[in-house]
Amino acid sequence: MDNSRPPHNGHQDREFSVTADEVTCQQFVEMVTDYFEGALEPHTLSQVEEHLVMCDWCVTYVEQMQATIASLRELSEPSAPEPTDSLLAALRAKRGGT
Amino acid sequence: MQPDTATAPVRPAASDEQTVAALRAGDERTFRDLFARSYPVMKRVARTYVASEAVAEEVVQETWMAVVAGIERFEGRSALGTWMFSILTNQAKTHSAREKRAVPFSSVALGNAEEPSVDPDRFQTDDEAWPGHWATPPRPWQKPERRLLSLEARERLKAALAQLPERQRLIVGLRDIDGRSAEEVCQLLGLSQENQRVLLHRGRSRLRAALEEYLDAADT
Repeated sequence: MDNSRPPHNGHQDREFSVTADEVTCQQFVEMVTDYFEGALEPHTLSQVEEHLVMCDWCVTYVEQMQATIASLRELSEPSAPEPTDSLLAALRAKRGGT
Repeated sequence: MQPDTATAPVRPAASDEQTVAALRAGDERTFRDLFARSYPVMKRVARTYVASEAVAEEVVQETWMAVVAGIERFEGRSALGTWMFSILTNQAKTHSAREKRAVPFSSVALGNAEEPSVDPDRFQTDDEAWPGHWATPPRPWQKPERRLLSLEARERLKAALAQLPERQRLIVGLRDIDGRSAEEVCQLLGLSQENQRVLLHRGRSRLRAALEEYLDAADT
């Protein structure tokens, strides 16, 4: 298949309207977030899915992205600190009126 | 991969009216619950304005003082969260005026310096057999669960996170660390869905690349 469309270094086209018959790996790595977010147009999505059927390397890239995201989740902070005493006092003052 | 809403509050959130009424009545349980739930987001946003974690924590506590003091005057013309967010950014700016510049999100021009997610050298050029396909493909991360939870890998990830441009760090933090939804983040920061995705994409791409570099080096 003669893919005469030059590889994108970034994405010039935010809609990713892929006019060639296939998505290249270099295009896919720019689309991966939109893919995860469900933001791809149906036609582009099916081209991406076709590409992933055929390209183990891009599947690896997807797995790496997922692993990165999962690792970020592991960084989530422990519980919040205590509200300060003055903050609690200000709140309690609202209950004060009898 | 759908945004994980399981990290959002598991109880159905009280309406703004209920929350405001509870705060006005000095209901400590409601207050503590809201304080704890909103703390990561508030601190993360504050941190984009000020120079240290400690100051960011101060800003959050000060914001809450202003919220508690001002809750009777809150008229409900905006969402409670929006109102709190504007108090937070004002408090943060007071600090940052003394420290460094604060750039409002809405003024960010995202179009500057398109950065490719992966070094273009890793792909085949036009005069090669499969233009645009991998020349140096990614290698599977062996036993990713175990490896990525290693202390060193975690530290590497945290270091890479600290090096992200501020806005990318904020979006990745809110979405992937705090588990906020795209809609929440867009509403909070006044971003379009698309701009939010661009920042998320760039941030995640840099982090993946940093981890890949670390893990490839660890393999050799």
